[in-house]
Amino acid sequence: MELTPRQFDRELTLKELLAGLPAGKLQQILEAMFGCGFRLTTAGGQVVAGSAEPGTATTHSPIRYELESVGNLETASADPEKIKAAVLLIELLLHSAARYYMASALHIEAIDADYEALQKKHAALVISETRYRELAASLELRVQQQVAVIEAAQRQLYQTEKMVSVGQLAAGVAHEINNPVGFIKSNLNTAKKYVQQFAQLAVLVNSSPDSAIAKGWRQADLDFVIQDFSDLLGESIAGTERVARIVADLKDFSNIDHTEIQVVNINDNIRSVCNMATHELSKTADLLFDLGELPKQKCHPGRINQALLNVLLNAAQAMPERGQIRIRSEYRDGLTSVQISDNGHGMAESTLARVFDPFFTTREVGKGTGLGLTVARDIVTAHDGDILIQSEPGKGTTVTIHLPVG
Amino acid sequence: MADYNEESNRLTIKIVYYGPALSGKTTNIMRLHDLIAPQLKGEIMTLETQNDRTLFFDLLPLAFTASTGLLIKFKLFTVPGQVAHDGTRKAVLSRADGVVFVADSQRSQSVNNGESFDNLVENVHRVGLDLDRLPLVVQFNKRDQTNILSEEEISQRWSAASWPIVFASALHGDGVVDTFSQLLAQVHRNLDTEFHLVSKHGIEQRSFVESACATIG
Repeated sequence: MELTPRQFDRELTLKELLAGLPAGKLQQILEAMFGCGFRLTTAGGQVVAGSAEPGTATTHSPIRYELESVGNLETASADPEKIKAAVLLIELLLHSAARYYMASALHIEAIDADYEALQKKHAALVISETRYRELAASLELRVQQQVAVIEAAQRQLYQTEKMVSVGQLAAGVAHEINNPVGFIKSNLNTAKKYVQQFAQLAVLVNSSPDSAIAKGWRQADLDFVIQDFSDLLGESIAGTERVARIVADLKDFSNIDHTEIQVVNINDNIRSVCNMATHELSKTADLLFDLGELPKQKCHPGRINQALLNVLLNAAQAMPERGQIRIRSEYRDGLTSVQISDNGHGMAESTLARVFDPFFTTREVGKGTGLGLTVARDIVTAHDGDILIQSEPGKGTTVTIHLPVG
Repeated sequence: MADYNEESNRLTIKIVYYGPALSGKTTNIMRLHDLIAPQLKGEIMTLETQNDRTLFFDLLPLAFTASTGLLIKFKLFTVPGQVAHDGTRKAVLSRADGVVFVADSQRSQSVNNGESFDNLVENVHRVGLDLDRLPLVVQFNKRDQTNILSEEEISQRWSAASWPIVFASALHGDGVVDTFSQLLAQVHRNLDTEFHLVSKHGIEQRSFVESACATIG
């Protein structure tokens, strides 16, 4: 069968037309008709049927197909009627072969064209399918990314809200405390001056030791009282200063809702957070500072404070007995790193693998939200930094935060 | 495209009768066979039909010999008009040297005529022919029917088209030869540029058309 389609309407040769016929049978019929040999030749003289030998051929009769002579019938037969009948028979066969050839060739041509059209349609469909598939795939990816962003934002919002309400309370309290602390400190300073004036009296009184006033003075041990009074006032002044500093730190820290970027030294954040959380932290651990020289860098200070606080509170809560929390900071190669190490109970590998999972907590219900490290990581990541945790059960945990500068 | 065979000194020209189903394409070539008597006229070869409707094509071969001995052979094909046979229609249309579009004059057939003509235009492009250069005659057939579009209506509708319009009643043989000869005049113009019919073979347009369309009697 032809694989390449041939034009159905092309001119056909005698050879092509006879190709479909069993040659032996035609020869048998014609030999029986003539009672002698014959041969069928093309217009070019090529023998296509009958004996190849010219023999004693005498008559040449043209075979016509579609208005044209396509070959000759050569036979030794002398019967013109038989020759005429033979020519008609051959022409009939050619006509029938041509019909068959044309129909099949046209059919192949049409099928081929249809197939080609289908292939084109198929190719177009494949392209559009690929496009939709890609779209669908990227859609899913984009949805996932969006969901992750929303989830991170939600976690931060949750913690921030918590911190904001605490911060607002703290800011209110700080403001309320500031005023009384101010006048207490001022009064104490004035009181200290008054006591000093009192102390000058002692010289005068002691100049006449036998006077009644000097006796009374000694009896009341006023030398000691005045000295101690001054010390007490000094301690109280130091105390009010400390209160004022804590209040200032509290105000600093409660700036959690300040979302604008500021240029700060991270060491200041570390100190502020430690001051703030002294009470929580010093219950279970001693703080050891090893703060290196840091350049100023841009960040959301409120957020960074929150991240540091979350890590510090975790460290403090990891102490089976009183322990140490070591806070190191250093700057190298454009990176500020803060390392918070504790010598608490550490974590097993299975716990370590999940510490950043939202709502994962090892504490009792109600004691931890399971969001502390998750939020810390979200904050650090938002600053283009990273956070690493190393831990060994029984030995302690080290959290390292890297924050790029600039 | 016309096929010139130097060895057998023969120029084969393909004419295709196109149009909607039942518009009378086969009737056209059957009447033509009855009416004209060129030097050589073959029998109509009809391929498979189904209820008298063409499935593949009909073929009428005609021929005459020019004074230089060049055999000019015409092969007149009809396409199957039914919408479903578009693949076959396209294959038959391939390599056409001229097209007769047989439209049905009945009012009810206007939409079919339009769709079939659009299909012709589309297929002409698909088989790589140039509609602007392709010889084409539009025949409005079945003028003997009632409820037909008037000649004025048709002329008006086709006024923007550059093709000649022939009114015919193929069943009665009216307009059939006229359609064919108008097409051959255009075909001659195209072939002359390509094969130098006039300068090389001395075949003028008039003798070309007359030799092919010589009527009986």
